[in-house]
Amino acid sequence: MTNHIVDLKNTDCALIMGSNAAENHPISMRWLLRAREQRNAKIIHVDPRYTRTSARADIYAPLRSGTDIAFLGGMIKYIIDNEKYHKDYVLAYTNASFLVKDEYGFEDGLFSGYDPEKRSYDVSSWDYQYDENGLPIKDPTLQHPRCVFQLLKQHYERYDIDTVCQITGTPKKKYLEVLEAFSATGAPDKTGTIMYAMGITQHTVGSQNVRAFAIVQLLLGNMGRPGGGVNALRGENNVQGATDMALLFHIIPGYIDSPTNGADNKDLLAYIRKATPGAAKLQFNSLEEFRQLVAAGFPNSGFKINTSKWMVSLLKAWWGDAANAENDFAYHYMPKRDANKNYSHIALFEAMHRGEIDGLFVNGTNPVVGGPNANKEQEALSKLKWMVSIDLWLNETADFWTYPAWQRPVENENVPKLAANDIQTEVFFLPAAAVYEKEGTASQTGRWVQYRWQGADPVGESKADLWIYNELGKRIKSLYAGSSKPEDEPITQLAWNYDDEHGHDDIMKVAAELCGFNVADGLPVEGFANLKDDGSTACGCWVYCGAMTYKDGKVIYKPQLRDNKDNSKEGLGLFSNWAWAWPVNRRIVYNRCSISPDGVTPWPGDEKRVLIRWDEAAGSWVGDDVCDTGKTSPPEKAMPFIMRPEGMGCIFATKTSMKDGPFPEHYEPWESPTANTMNKQNLNPATKVWEPDKQGTPDKYPIIATTYRVVEHWQTGALTRNLPWLAELMPDMMVEISEELAREKGIKNGRKVIVSTTRGDIEAVACVTKRFKPFNIHGKQIHEIGLLWHYGFKGFATGDPANRLTPHVGCANTMIPEYKAFLCDVRRA
Amino acid sequence: MKVTRRQFLKVTGATAASFALVDLGFNLQATASAVKELRIKNVTPVPTVCPYCASGCGLVVYSERDAEGKFIRLLSVHGDPDNPINQGGACSKGAAMFNLREIYDEHGEQIVNPKRVQKPLYRAPGTDKWLEKDWDWMLDQIAQRVKETRDKSFIHKETIADGSEIIVNRTERIASIGGSGLDNEECYLLSKLMRALGVVYLETQARI
Amino acid sequence: MANLTNLYDVSKCTACRGCMVACKDWNQLPAVIEPFKGNYDTHGGDTNGDTFTVVRFIEGEDPVDGVFWNFLKYQCMHCFYPACMKVCPQGAYSKTEWGATFHDPEKCIGCQYCTYACPFMIPKYRKREDKISKCTLCVDRVEEGLTPACARTCPTGALKFGDREELLAEAEERVKFLQANGFPRATIYGRVELGGLNKLYVLTDSPDKFGLPVDPKVPGQISFWQNWVQPYFGWLIPVALAGSAVSFVTTRILANKNGDHTEGGHE
Repeated sequence: MTNHIVDLKNTDCALIMGSNAAENHPISMRWLLRAREQRNAKIIHVDPRYTRTSARADIYAPLRSGTDIAFLGGMIKYIIDNEKYHKDYVLAYTNASFLVKDEYGFEDGLFSGYDPEKRSYDVSSWDYQYDENGLPIKDPTLQHPRCVFQLLKQHYERYDIDTVCQITGTPKKKYLEVLEAFSATGAPDKTGTIMYAMGITQHTVGSQNVRAFAIVQLLLGNMGRPGGGVNALRGENNVQGATDMALLFHIIPGYIDSPTNGADNKDLLAYIRKATPGAAKLQFNSLEEFRQLVAAGFPNSGFKINTSKWMVSLLKAWWGDAANAENDFAYHYMPKRDANKNYSHIALFEAMHRGEIDGLFVNGTNPVVGGPNANKEQEALSKLKWMVSIDLWLNETADFWTYPAWQRPVENENVPKLAANDIQTEVFFLPAAAVYEKEGTASQTGRWVQYRWQGADPVGESKADLWIYNELGKRIKSLYAGSSKPEDEPITQLAWNYDDEHGHDDIMKVAAELCGFNVADGLPVEGFANLKDDGSTACGCWVYCGAMTYKDGKVIYKPQLRDNKDNSKEGLGLFSNWAWAWPVNRRIVYNRCSISPDGVTPWPGDEKRVLIRWDEAAGSWVGDDVCDTGKTSPPEKAMPFIMRPEGMGCIFATKTSMKDGPFPEHYEPWESPTANTMNKQNLNPATKVWEPDKQGTPDKYPIIATTYRVVEHWQTGALTRNLPWLAELMPDMMVEISEELAREKGIKNGRKVIVSTTRGDIEAVACVTKRFKPFNIHGKQIHEIGLLWHYGFKGFATGDPANRLTPHVGCANTMIPEYKAFLCDVRRA
Repeated sequence: MKVTRRQFLKVTGATAASFALVDLGFNLQATASAVKELRIKNVTPVPTVCPYCASGCGLVVYSERDAEGKFIRLLSVHGDPDNPINQGGACSKGAAMFNLREIYDEHGEQIVNPKRVQKPLYRAPGTDKWLEKDWDWMLDQIAQRVKETRDKSFIHKETIADGSEIIVNRTERIASIGGSGLDNEECYLLSKLMRALGVVYLETQARI
Repeated sequence: MANLTNLYDVSKCTACRGCMVACKDWNQLPAVIEPFKGNYDTHGGDTNGDTFTVVRFIEGEDPVDGVFWNFLKYQCMHCFYPACMKVCPQGAYSKTEWGATFHDPEKCIGCQYCTYACPFMIPKYRKREDKISKCTLCVDRVEEGLTPACARTCPTGALKFGDREELLAEAEERVKFLQANGFPRATIYGRVELGGLNKLYVLTDSPDKFGLPVDPKVPGQISFWQNWVQPYFGWLIPVALAGSAVSFVTTRILANKNGDHTEGGHE
């Protein structure tokens, strides 16, 4: 979230799209309903199915799964055509006025630079025009035909209301209601929030769906203001933290690019040249020379100019004394992935299925239920030599080798069926302590890092994961203890000292390293601005730097702070003294935009939602929130989007920001019942297709299927189907089907049905409902059904995993699987 | 790291409203003699945060302890009134947190959730059952598997396009998935340990 | 002493069912797991011996407004004049001075006459103890100054607890607001029904759209029972039950009633 949960109460209009907030983030509705009660805010829900969120919305608009860009593209056109955009904001805080290179273009659904062989783009033309000083050229009148604003207008010219509704299946009247209500937040005294979740991201165009949100919000002037923002409602209690700690192949902690085996990553200096925006154009031959350039500041870098400090401090945290100026701070210890290889979830399981992976750690996750194409992922596990599963329960993944794991409702020769004695995988199951049987911090969706204290003893011999990893690290290190091989140095030299004087793991030692300390005295580094690239500071994750502080002889871990008085004068609900938010306890990011460009005058009519303002006398930004711009930069220089080289909100995404285009364009899902009528490409041209032979076609599989969750269960159900009270509330796998489709297929409510795709078949109980309606797509009736993906064969509530049906295909940028739109058929069991 | 544990400010988490029984602002005299005594009376609640969706609702754990403070059993888990996100609220999942550890069986008896695994378990290749093992054995075995696999598959250096050598220090035969349900400190250790081993197939639920 | 009551505003309820689980947590109730029958409401819209409160899901389609999905929290109404209390041969029921209808399991003999007498069919037989059970309005919490578990857990603020007069005033405001904002038939339930309920509802539509009786009545036989039979022959009930003639009747009545209630979903 750019904003946070409590801030929803400050909105004038909420567009909930690709999220079932009432069910999957129930507390968000507390604050939205408050906004409705106190501000007369409107709540809009756009979703293929009428849900518990729709029931509380003022406007419900259905749309066919996978057509969000058509829907939002039409909104962009409506905002421009009807001049609903926030003009001063657009001019001052976005790149709308920037001129784009003449080589950039778009034709037949392809952006300039496409290579059909590689299914990828050469992005060099997706860039600004620069002047002789290397600064982007702008046209403040927004009239230049090559300015971003005019290119945007031109790009979405095709997205008229009738065309959009033909694609999305949204009734025109409802679509107009949505357009009118949400674009009204373009008025300077109004803000609107967009709330989304996996309904937006789990598509082959997932990242571009989010980009479309960003464009809408920049046009309406809703970023960086209370009650506004593009708000990802994240799905797991600490998925934010796991991402911050870089449990992802492409980054290392703090969102720094993970090094590759390319020449441009060869040593620390090469890496810094590559990873620091703008550095490639500069001349330097040592870190010392580079430091001087950084101190002077160089163009087109933004805040990422500090990358060298983050990286060197990370290396110091990991390899301690073995990381020093003489050996590149042990940069060579850091693994270098193959630059031409993808290591993301789908690729990982494809490799495992080919027998290329021997050992797997499964840390509280359950791919046999939650992974796409789960039949294949389950079979892949059987090709491992060993697997370590760490969980509270024997979930479906831990038990993948047992008899029930291979039972299917119908015989299907394309679906593997193994027996325990065929499976040579050695499995180690380590029982983990539950959340309140241990202590530690979790980062929620609004980036608040909160402490969880221990309220009960672990069950039996179960242990906190911290203890498990600490012990494992110690044992692995002792196995390598005698080695003098250079390739073993990353382990033998690894700084791994987390035991207290009694030999117990000490969470505060981990926290201190993670938040950063001065090497000389071990005291906390007070904020990431104080990190150094000379080896004098160590910090495991720079975005958490400042979460630990030293005051009056005591070290305070700020996530433990529990002062719940709202510090904001206008009652905006910032609660800045409750826990700690990254970065630097900032509660609303891009908050420079909460005041007009002069830094002094509030947006007309919106005095109460100002978060920071320029204090001329003090020469700094002051206010209720921590400013998201240079603290002492005067308004004309204080950029609102500091992580961007140009400092502006990007209506046009330049160069490597996106893999599949500077503007979002509508493409159909990989499996779609209809051809793309918006352009000549059916599928996102930059999407990797893993299994071309598994693509279902509408002649055999005419029905759209989507997957989702309910409030009573969570994710793969391991943490809910094992709880009797929740098993009671939603006891069986079910599929929601419209009354129209049920009539066509002779399906009765409460009876069992079989749902099939090219990947497999599952059985589920039919929930025949008025809340799903067939879509009218290009004059043709198209059915869609919805499957819960919580179920598996373990626990108090059981059922077939919906993901046995979903495909191995994903977003062109993130590789997140397309769980949300695929083709199926359904029949009575 | 030169800071000692004693230097950390000790924060227990239990504060104001989660302590006090003041929801209504007044006390009533018991009107029915059969009314059970409030079982959380004089019990200090321990704050935690819900492990389900990422909204970050606070919850408080009430437990029964003996005179020495040794944990006996749970009494109730419910929304933390102090937490500004939820102000005491909890949906069905958050309200069910008691069940993560303990349940009431069909006779109404309070027992540990029978689905919780209480000992490390081992499944040998090709067999059809789990065997209970102790922690030492398990962790030593896992450490050995990691070393065997890593050493056999480790890529120390590669020759790249320009003909030069680069140290890559990676193994592609070990993978790690998950972690979004862990605490930050745990995620950090996992991330650090896996990368020290050279693991590049490192993924979490954010990708799916 | 003022009456203390719940105010439940359906326009703020998201049917998260936190109230159902918080009730089980506080009242130490086991789960009752039954198969999914085609409606989210897995309890057939009714309470049972180990489930004191349920949320009903009622979907329909309006020619003008389109599809709707109504949610209703359903539990003991803690009537001002409780029929259960009138018929109980053992005097197991009492009213607290702040308005809760209290059932004392120590006195209960499990005859189930209260179930039959209740206009909402709320008190339910708990087989594992051979006794009746129902919502207590968390009397143990309230008497120590705490809100009932259901109201305390409600994430959206749909469920509140407090002084009945104050909540009634708030309910009137909400109804006025709803009537002016797209719900012309919004109404209060529980103010006058059966002479007053100690549970107040703000409904966005008429009670029948939420499965509530529009004009609830205590079954006619009950007044005969409580005015004539019980005062003179109430002591006979345990004996009669032992002889099972009455329990046979009761069981049959219950079976019928349950038949009506478990018809979940929609065809």
